[in-house]
Amino acid sequence: MFDTHDPETRKTFEPRIVAFFCNWCTYTAADLAGTSRMTYEPNVRVVRLMCSGRLDPQFVLHAFRQGCDGVLIGGCHSGDCHYQEGNHKAFRRYTLLKRLLTQMGIEEERLRLEWISASEGDKVRSVINEMCEQLRRLGPLRLERRPELRHTSVNQPDRVTVEVGGGSQ
Amino acid sequence: MSEFDIRSNGSPRIGVYVCHCGINISAKVDVAAAVEFAKTLPNVVIARDYKFMCSDPGQDTIQKDIREMSLDRVVVASCSPLMHEATFRRATMEAGQNQFFFQMANIREHVSWVTADGDKATEKAKALIGAAVRRVALHEPLEQRKVAVKPDVLVVGGGISGIHAALTVANSGKNVYLVEREPTIGGHMAKFDKTFPTLDCSACILTPKMTSVRSHPNITLMTYSEVQSVGGYVGNFEVDIRRKARYVDEKLCTGCGECVKACSVEVLSEFDEGLSKRKAIYRPFPQAVPNVFAISRKGTPPCQSVCAIHQNAQGYVTLIGLGKYKEALEVILRDNPLPAVCGRICTHPCSVACTRSKVDDPINIPGLKRFIADWVFKNKVDYQLPGPERERLERIAIVGAGPAGLMCAYELRKRGYQTEIFEALPVAGGMLAVGIPDFRLPKGVLISEIRKLEEIGVRINLNSRVGQNGLSLRHLRESFDAVFIATGAHQENKLKVPGEDLSSVWGGIDFLRRVSLGERIRLGKRVMVVGGGNSAIDAARTALRMGATEVSVVYRRTRAEMPADPDEIKEAEREGIHFDFLTTPKAFLGEKWVTAVEFLKMKLGAPDESWRPRPVPIPGSEYVTTCDDVIVTIGQESDLRIIGKDMSVETSNRGTIIADPLTLATNVEGVFAGGDCVSGPEIVVTALSAGRKAAISIHRYLNSLDIHMGRELEGAFESTIVTDTEGYLVKKRVPMPAIGLEQRKTFQEVHIGYNEEQAREEASRCLACAECCDCELCAAVCEPKAINYRMEDQIEKIKVGSIILATGFKAFNAERIPRYGYGKYSNVYTSLEVERMLNAAGPSGGQISLNGSGKPRTVGIIHCVGSRDETTNRYCSRVCCMYSLKLAHLIKERTEAEVYNFYIDMRTPGKGYEEFWDKLLQEGVHMIRGRVAEVTDWAMTKEEEGKLIIRAEDTLIGVVRRIPVDMVVLSVGLEPRPDAEEVGRLFNISCSKEGWFLERHPKLAPVSTFTDGVFLAGACQGPKDIPDCVAQAGAAAAEALALADKGFVELEPNTAFITEDRCSGCKTCIAMCPFTAIAFNAKEGTSEINEALCKGCGTCVAACPSGAAQQHMFTDKQICEEIEGILSYV
Repeated sequence: MFDTHDPETRKTFEPRIVAFFCNWCTYTAADLAGTSRMTYEPNVRVVRLMCSGRLDPQFVLHAFRQGCDGVLIGGCHSGDCHYQEGNHKAFRRYTLLKRLLTQMGIEEERLRLEWISASEGDKVRSVINEMCEQLRRLGPLRLERRPELRHTSVNQPDRVTVEVGGGSQ
Repeated sequence: MSEFDIRSNGSPRIGVYVCHCGINISAKVDVAAAVEFAKTLPNVVIARDYKFMCSDPGQDTIQKDIREMSLDRVVVASCSPLMHEATFRRATMEAGQNQFFFQMANIREHVSWVTADGDKATEKAKALIGAAVRRVALHEPLEQRKVAVKPDVLVVGGGISGIHAALTVANSGKNVYLVEREPTIGGHMAKFDKTFPTLDCSACILTPKMTSVRSHPNITLMTYSEVQSVGGYVGNFEVDIRRKARYVDEKLCTGCGECVKACSVEVLSEFDEGLSKRKAIYRPFPQAVPNVFAISRKGTPPCQSVCAIHQNAQGYVTLIGLGKYKEALEVILRDNPLPAVCGRICTHPCSVACTRSKVDDPINIPGLKRFIADWVFKNKVDYQLPGPERERLERIAIVGAGPAGLMCAYELRKRGYQTEIFEALPVAGGMLAVGIPDFRLPKGVLISEIRKLEEIGVRINLNSRVGQNGLSLRHLRESFDAVFIATGAHQENKLKVPGEDLSSVWGGIDFLRRVSLGERIRLGKRVMVVGGGNSAIDAARTALRMGATEVSVVYRRTRAEMPADPDEIKEAEREGIHFDFLTTPKAFLGEKWVTAVEFLKMKLGAPDESWRPRPVPIPGSEYVTTCDDVIVTIGQESDLRIIGKDMSVETSNRGTIIADPLTLATNVEGVFAGGDCVSGPEIVVTALSAGRKAAISIHRYLNSLDIHMGRELEGAFESTIVTDTEGYLVKKRVPMPAIGLEQRKTFQEVHIGYNEEQAREEASRCLACAECCDCELCAAVCEPKAINYRMEDQIEKIKVGSIILATGFKAFNAERIPRYGYGKYSNVYTSLEVERMLNAAGPSGGQISLNGSGKPRTVGIIHCVGSRDETTNRYCSRVCCMYSLKLAHLIKERTEAEVYNFYIDMRTPGKGYEEFWDKLLQEGVHMIRGRVAEVTDWAMTKEEEGKLIIRAEDTLIGVVRRIPVDMVVLSVGLEPRPDAEEVGRLFNISCSKEGWFLERHPKLAPVSTFTDGVFLAGACQGPKDIPDCVAQAGAAAAEALALADKGFVELEPNTAFITEDRCSGCKTCIAMCPFTAIAFNAKEGTSEINEALCKGCGTCVAACPSGAAQQHMFTDKQICEEIEGILSYV
């Protein structure tokens, strides 16, 4: 794992991008890019969802918290969603999430939404290449890591210590 | 069982298998390193690599490990899950593991095939393996849902692909619905003459299959139908099919063809590619299946829709063009009992809306209507207006014998009621009699038309003013069953300036009435007419005929705002009437009679409520002109005294009677009012429309029917038909003959009317916007009485288990390549057009001739038009080389011309294709290898004169050549249908970049789509020739049959579910679901998901604020683990 505080590392910084692709359109397009042997930057790792509508904004936050530098969301073009309108719901969530992120100081370019249809393998390539280039210029995200982060599931509550008595005196 | 239960049996035991995929993966990814890395991951018990994991030995390895090492989860890092997830799941299942304890990492399509650097590729592969290992630990043991599959199959598209698919499925005993958009099945293949390479006659091999479809007991053929909506899912599709109205009953039509002979409308034939004409009632080709006719009716044409009484103008105009005058009269009389009147004085909104005006002049519809009336008169044709079938007892009183009253009486009489009109004047006709001078509408014409109404039983009492001599409105209401008030607007509007009461200052309406009733009025030499409407023009022209020598029309706005008919204004100017604009009288000067007028000049200001600019006086611009008489025609009002004090009919403060615009009912029950007395002064046809509307209202009222329902389209409305006006030659309107100026001193009618030759010529300009013109001549000759104009589209609902799409292709539009001259030069044809010409049943009976000037002596065939082209379509259309060779052979055979084929590459890959190519070479067809640069008619030598020159580089000899030919054939490529994307959405499938339907896998699943249960067959999936279409259709049929025979389908268990304890009942999820799979349980206060309806998108899960909703196979925890797996190790 690399230390993003080290200036040396920064020079050779390669962004890590987590992509959430919908099964019917974007994942298939990425497969098509593969069968067509298109070459693109290796920085993206794809998580497959059935529909971009499944994308919970928590996933994006979790990904940033776990150390990625950018998140790419891929869904079907408007009107083509395999489940009618899941992509529209994804778009709504994405717009609000983006505002939230910028207020937290995370640059807008780190979250990107693209509509890519199953036959647009070249769009997968160009979007990934573009995003990598952008993030290289932006630099690493450098979110403070939570101390004692162990590889556990999300919903396990942290231990809470309660002080009895005393108060502010 | 949750993941915690499983782990309580010992932590998950994961086996990781990394595939080399030959060298596809191992060339870039260091597989060994990946395996070593996998061993370090939590819960991984064993990690291996193998050359081909998907092969038998590969799968055996996994199974062996499961058994021997008690693995309970498996990760395979290889190709895309879309490729082999099912394969590996089955393998694990056979070894006794739940098949959903499996996860794939895509390190081929997403890593090795797309990454340049080997180290980076290996890193990426490791990250994905890490993700898969972390995720699979949380997988649940699920079971696939089994859903029963209905055996019926829907085939969409009746070309050769659809036909073959339907027959194959039907032969197995299953039921097939074959839906075809055109009136017949057959598709493009029915248009061809011969097929390559065998040169079989296309119809000969196609029609037996078409006949089989028709007679097959298991095939329900729905032609002239389209799929409107598709619901449900694989095995259980619910499809709505729109059966378009054919207007011919399929069960009764015998295909005899008598209707075609009688049909009066000709339009371009789509089947013959626009090279010939067909009738509006037609059959695309003689061997059509079903062998019945269809009428192409596009709706209500603009002329009919804007006419307030919806006269069928296209109908009678078409019939006049064919010389069928009696039939034309019958069409007119259906809606209008006063054709001679309307043909002369109507202000023709129909002509204003006529589509022909986009080409040159609108059709002179009233002139043609008048022609029929004149023909009736000249030939003493005896006709009866349609009268009542049976008499009814109810009596209706109508006040006023103007157009509204007469029409109302006519319409009521047709329905059998007894009608009695009470008219105040000594003549009937209202404004028609006393407002319009004889030189526009001769009295005799009006009288004879009114007599026809009396002949069917309309009673008219003249000199009977309601409100006088005991004849009150109340009395009428009490003695009759209903009353219609149509008294019009006959009271003058006054200017209200000094001197208006001087004698020889006439009110215009008063003046015209007196002249019409025969009073001898003496006018001076100089007459001024104040006003701008038709009455002003009529008064001015009347004044000229009554002794005035200098007549001026004075109007307070400009010519542009004059409400009078522009034709009338033109005639007035021809007759020498002078126009003064932006002028208004300020006072009339004189002692007992007027001697002079003081005028004031005006200028145009802001618009008033009629949207016309308000005239604003210019102070100090007064001037005085002498004159002998002044006629003031500035508008009319209604005389409301007829209502009387004992009836409380509501009136407005504008001086009109208030009546409901939809029904014409007044506030008094049984009393209706319409025409100018309600609307203010309007045109004649609006009054006729009011008369009809009142009759319908009265009819419904007397029969206690709802008088409001369904009345919206009674008045004028806008037509929805759009007619293509490209390509028509300009041919201006036949001018209406008129008498010369010297003859215009008397009240002789000015317009003479068309003679037969002029009428037919004018009628021939009609564009037949609605195609079928409702002349109803076909129904008259149809013995089995199969024709029904009242047919409507029907929706039929069917339930099927699978769907095969065979919707075919569209030929490339050659106009998109202008340099080839299609549409510019008359002897440039597309290949489909030439097919029709070569076809013995086609427009030229199998002969190739150049627009009637004999056979071509040289022909050039240009390959790759719209294919292999960066600017249009990059792909190769696959069939064009072969069909171009076929056309070359056939053309040479029929015409003995020299044939030149211009090709880029000769693509002849099929069975017998290369041999066919050899044969053509033997026949002496010239082959020039070079893409054609252009087709031009610009001759550079004498031999090139009058020919089309094809310029191309002959690349085999390295010379640019100019080949002069008589005829050019463009081998157009195949394109997806223009509505392919829309159709795709209907069936929930997607299209490729070029627009063809997307197959699941181009090599291994060419007939399946990503939507289970929907299959593809034929050219809709990509350009292909007939043998491939038939093969694919068989394949699609096999897939559909496999589904049907299995009887059930297993669905992914990736449905959403709600944990009741966590649900707070906020109902956020319910609105999210597009499949209405979530319902609220009011008793429990929580939401519940119906697993059968859930399609597994997960949108509700993402929306749930409490995490109560989760999706099997895609829980929040699983995905978060996957994210952590990606980011925690590399």
